[in-house]
Amino acid sequence: MQYALLIHEPHAESYPDGDSGQAWRDIIAAHTAFGQEMGAAGVIVGGAGLKNPDTATTVRVSASGRTVHDGPFAETREQLGGLYMIDVPDLDAAIEWAKKLPIAKTGSIEIRPMLPPPPQG
Amino acid sequence: MSRLLDQTFRDAGGRVVSALAAAFRDLDLAEEAFAEACARAVERWGDTPPADPAAWLFAVARRWALDRFRRRATAAAYRPDDAPPEPSPEDHVMALDEPIPDERLRLIFVCCHPAVGPEARAALTLRTVCGLSTAEVAAAFLVPEPTLAQRLVRAKTKIAEAGVPYDVPSPDRWPERMDAVLSTLEVAYAQAHADAAGAGPHADYAAEVLNLTGLLARLAPDDAEVRALAATVRFAEARRPARLDTNGAMIPLSDQDPTEWDGRLIAEAERHLAASATLSRAWGSPPGPRALQAAIHGAHAERAQTGRTDWPGILSLYDLLLARRDDPVIRVNRAVALAEVEGPAAALASLADIAADRWLPLAAARADLLSRLGRTCEARSEYDRALSLSPAPAEALFLTTRRDQLPV
Repeated sequence: MQYALLIHEPHAESYPDGDSGQAWRDIIAAHTAFGQEMGAAGVIVGGAGLKNPDTATTVRVSASGRTVHDGPFAETREQLGGLYMIDVPDLDAAIEWAKKLPIAKTGSIEIRPMLPPPPQG
Repeated sequence: MSRLLDQTFRDAGGRVVSALAAAFRDLDLAEEAFAEACARAVERWGDTPPADPAAWLFAVARRWALDRFRRRATAAAYRPDDAPPEPSPEDHVMALDEPIPDERLRLIFVCCHPAVGPEARAALTLRTVCGLSTAEVAAAFLVPEPTLAQRLVRAKTKIAEAGVPYDVPSPDRWPERMDAVLSTLEVAYAQAHADAAGAGPHADYAAEVLNLTGLLARLAPDDAEVRALAATVRFAEARRPARLDTNGAMIPLSDQDPTEWDGRLIAEAERHLAASATLSRAWGSPPGPRALQAAIHGAHAERAQTGRTDWPGILSLYDLLLARRDDPVIRVNRAVALAEVEGPAAALASLADIAADRWLPLAAARADLLSRLGRTCEARSEYDRALSLSPAPAEALFLTTRRDQLPV
């Protein structure tokens, strides 16, 4: 089964110096090693790290139309920081990987089963 | 339907549904197949079930499920993106032995997966592994039947869609996963035990939890916490006959007549408690929280032999428990022991920093301590507060009696 591991972290607390600080460099290094471990295990299907939430732009859709805003979609303490897509036998295996996933200080990893891709052509 | 058939279906349900669900990896299909087999049994059996009704039901349900599964597979074969060839559930089913394999442990782990909400876990386990009807589980949990049915559907959908494995977890995951199983059974038992009267569906339901902890202890005899929970549930059930006075009011543990306790259940409980202690020692680990709980029940049970309660011993067990987990329930129970050892003033002081205005056990404990201290006015308002927090009828009667006995 394919799962997305969605990483949520309190960005400002975890990376006080933004993406130029030591904390940021450390987490990038940790993710590089983690990605390699997943690659070696043959479970990784895809993924992406996201830049600082300060760089986010949101298009809000409502009955009156679509408007553009500065910032991430919700002003919560934890924000989406990146995701991995993995292919593993079951939820327990996905949980094992999520438990190993690098997190700078605190945060959460949401595990969501992925829909099958739409038919091609 | 006759009571005999009803009981037969109940007895067979857990094993048959568990075996089918484990084979097909589909709870819904297993339940439907079992219901279908029961419907046919009603037509065919008349008033005399066959010699081995469970085997009959299993064979019929398996054939029905297999047929349904094949038709579904044929329908799915036209989809453009074929699933990769894994060992199909059909292979598992064809390989199933008669007699029915006991897959209840596996199903307990599925139903009690931490990815399923704690409330739904208990309901789902009772429904699937014990074979209680949705109406019975709803009655036990004091929720409307449609609400419970919805909760069950949501839990089953989660299990199917999120890919919860139909397996007993590997040894490295066992402790964490077993903890989820045991807390689920604790939730289930608390539900059954809360009402001292144990009337109607609750009586049956407590018996099911009793069976389930016994089953778990047979399936995992070397787990100290499993044995400890089996002991606790037995000690508590043993006291059921002594929990009500002739007016139907609850009798607190320390006022119960120990000759009314069920000696057979206490003996079973003591066997599990001893096994739990031996296992902990063998593993060189300190007793777990459930072992401590069981030891507290065991200490109370000794009153049946010695005629007295070892309150200092019980207090020190509560202290150990509290050191592991600071839990308001433990603190309230510890206060009862503390009142016997150091007096009601110390006990009342120990409850001072629990901030829970509208929590029945706290209000009831405070009411008793205040009345023993002669602080009558405060005691009366605390009894009133407790009574306003919807106690079960037997406890309400007990609280009312105590309140009305306060000096004017």
